[in-house]
Amino acid sequence: MIDVRGLSARLGEFELRDVTFDVPAGGYGVVIGPAGSGKTTLLEAIAGVVRATNGDVKLNGRSVTTVPPDERGVGLVYQHAYLFPHLSVLENLRYGAQDEDTVEELVRRLEIDALRQRNVRSLSGGERQLVALARALAHRPGVLLLDEPFSALDPRRRGRTRREVRALHREWGFTALQVTHDFTEAGLLGDVAVLLDAGRVLQYGPPEQVFRKPASPYIAEFLGAENVFAGTARVLAEEAPDWLEGDAAALAHGYHAIEFTSGPLTLYTVGSTGNGPCYAVVRSEEVVLSLAPQSTSARNEFRGRVVEIGTLGALARVTLDVGGTPLVAAVTTRSAREMELREGAEVYATFKAMGVHLC
Amino acid sequence: MSPIPDRSRPRLRHGVFTVLAAIGGSLLLLFLAAPVLELIVTGGAGGITRLGRDAELRQALMLTGLTATTATLLGIVCGTPVAYLLSRSDFRGRAILSALLDLPLLIPHPVAGIALLLVFGRESAVGSALLAAGLRVVGSPVGIVCAMLFVSAPLYISGAREAFARVDFRYEAVARTLGDDAWRSFNRVTLPLARRGMVAAAVVMWARAVSEFGAIVILTYNPKVVSVLSYDRFTLGGLREALPVAAVMAIIALIPLTVLRTLRHDRSVSVTT
Repeated sequence: MIDVRGLSARLGEFELRDVTFDVPAGGYGVVIGPAGSGKTTLLEAIAGVVRATNGDVKLNGRSVTTVPPDERGVGLVYQHAYLFPHLSVLENLRYGAQDEDTVEELVRRLEIDALRQRNVRSLSGGERQLVALARALAHRPGVLLLDEPFSALDPRRRGRTRREVRALHREWGFTALQVTHDFTEAGLLGDVAVLLDAGRVLQYGPPEQVFRKPASPYIAEFLGAENVFAGTARVLAEEAPDWLEGDAAALAHGYHAIEFTSGPLTLYTVGSTGNGPCYAVVRSEEVVLSLAPQSTSARNEFRGRVVEIGTLGALARVTLDVGGTPLVAAVTTRSAREMELREGAEVYATFKAMGVHLC
Repeated sequence: MSPIPDRSRPRLRHGVFTVLAAIGGSLLLLFLAAPVLELIVTGGAGGITRLGRDAELRQALMLTGLTATTATLLGIVCGTPVAYLLSRSDFRGRAILSALLDLPLLIPHPVAGIALLLVFGRESAVGSALLAAGLRVVGSPVGIVCAMLFVSAPLYISGAREAFARVDFRYEAVARTLGDDAWRSFNRVTLPLARRGMVAAAVVMWARAVSEFGAIVILTYNPKVVSVLSYDRFTLGGLREALPVAAVMAIIALIPLTVLRTLRHDRSVSVTT
């Protein structure tokens, strides 16, 4: 496991401050955050190559804060690979390898057999990342720290390598912590997501929770939530309103029905927020579009006019004008085509109360 | 409609600047190379033939080579840890240490000789203690090595420090996580990657040691190194006597220069791989 408590570290002008989070033994953590937020420094402080100025790092139950990097049982893979340029690919792979069989297994599983005789300098960025990954794994670390290890791979190879690393993680049982800019990757890989900004942890927890229940509008926007509204919450007196979609059990955990008003928009949700100003976050994937009013249990339904349609591969991003407030919905391009969506068209946007998060 | 901008003027200015730069550069090159080439052309053949029959010149050459090599080896052994420390660690007093190491480069070399004489002279505590232990510094090859080390070691440290700084610390970080302790990662990764820069720094140090005169002449006039011998011959026999010795020294100076340029041509690793 990785257990970081109040960790502070300094590298040049940059400072990591009071970082706390944990990844369970055999778990897979992902670190996300904007550029310059300290993600790499965090991995380096855990590996011990950047000295901690405060706090404690425990790896697999042992405090290693003052232990040198070679005795921590960690593997570190940088985005830029840092293959030793004076050694061949094979020599790099064997550098800290536990045994030759492990090297051979990794060469086979990561499909880098063709590279073994190549000069390190002749490798592409993606090939370097694969060799660096294999080199770190060949040491059989108890904790693997990965700094955007797939960023230079083409999408097909990235998917295959990601699956292989996940399989090795399950089979060999190491704990992993990976820095990524790719939210899809974070969702696919992570058991725990750590959101870092300006050297501090803003939020951490299961990726589903971090993405769906961001702790602040800043986090929501960073994580790609396009509908963030400033407004006022009002706790409704009713104990279990009929629009709670059969999830009345949620109210037993201190939640209550809430009416949220932002300009012409009035949203209904459940949560623990009290009366007063706050933000409502609705992820665009939660918004369903239709040409006619829906007869569903979804509490929130609005009529709007399409003002912009942007397509990105299989998904279309549709922006509606709802009484002067923009509302973004993500639908498949196929749905958009079938609905014959075009700018100026009148449509209905629907989302469930549980799809609204207040922060 | 706005007028079409006249581009001929900047182009003309650029042309004039290029011509001026070429003239300035050529003049400086001529100024630097001409005296040395003239020296080699005029006295080179005489100097080389002189080597066969001038035992004092041969001895001076041998002594210069031995003392410069000894000083350089001492500089490498003692200076490498300092250079590494300065390139990697950010400690209190780092700026003061750097300034202290640069000090010998700033003071006139006869002054350096006087300072060394104060520390290692017979009347000084260190000098008399060393003498009692059987090690004479003043007027011996040891004094020459001391003078050479004093004036040239900062060049090695500075060059080696640059060489280490060009090796990203993350190479070592990776080696450490692959099981190397600090010493092993230094030997297996940092040293091979910094090697070219360190060799270049050592060559500069050796060349500087060979060419040293001011500090040596104060500390050890005899036995004579080539620089002292050429001065000695000039004062006693004039230009005719000094020319062959000086020409031989200029030819020797070309050796490290050639080595250095060869090393720099095959540039050392400084980028992420």
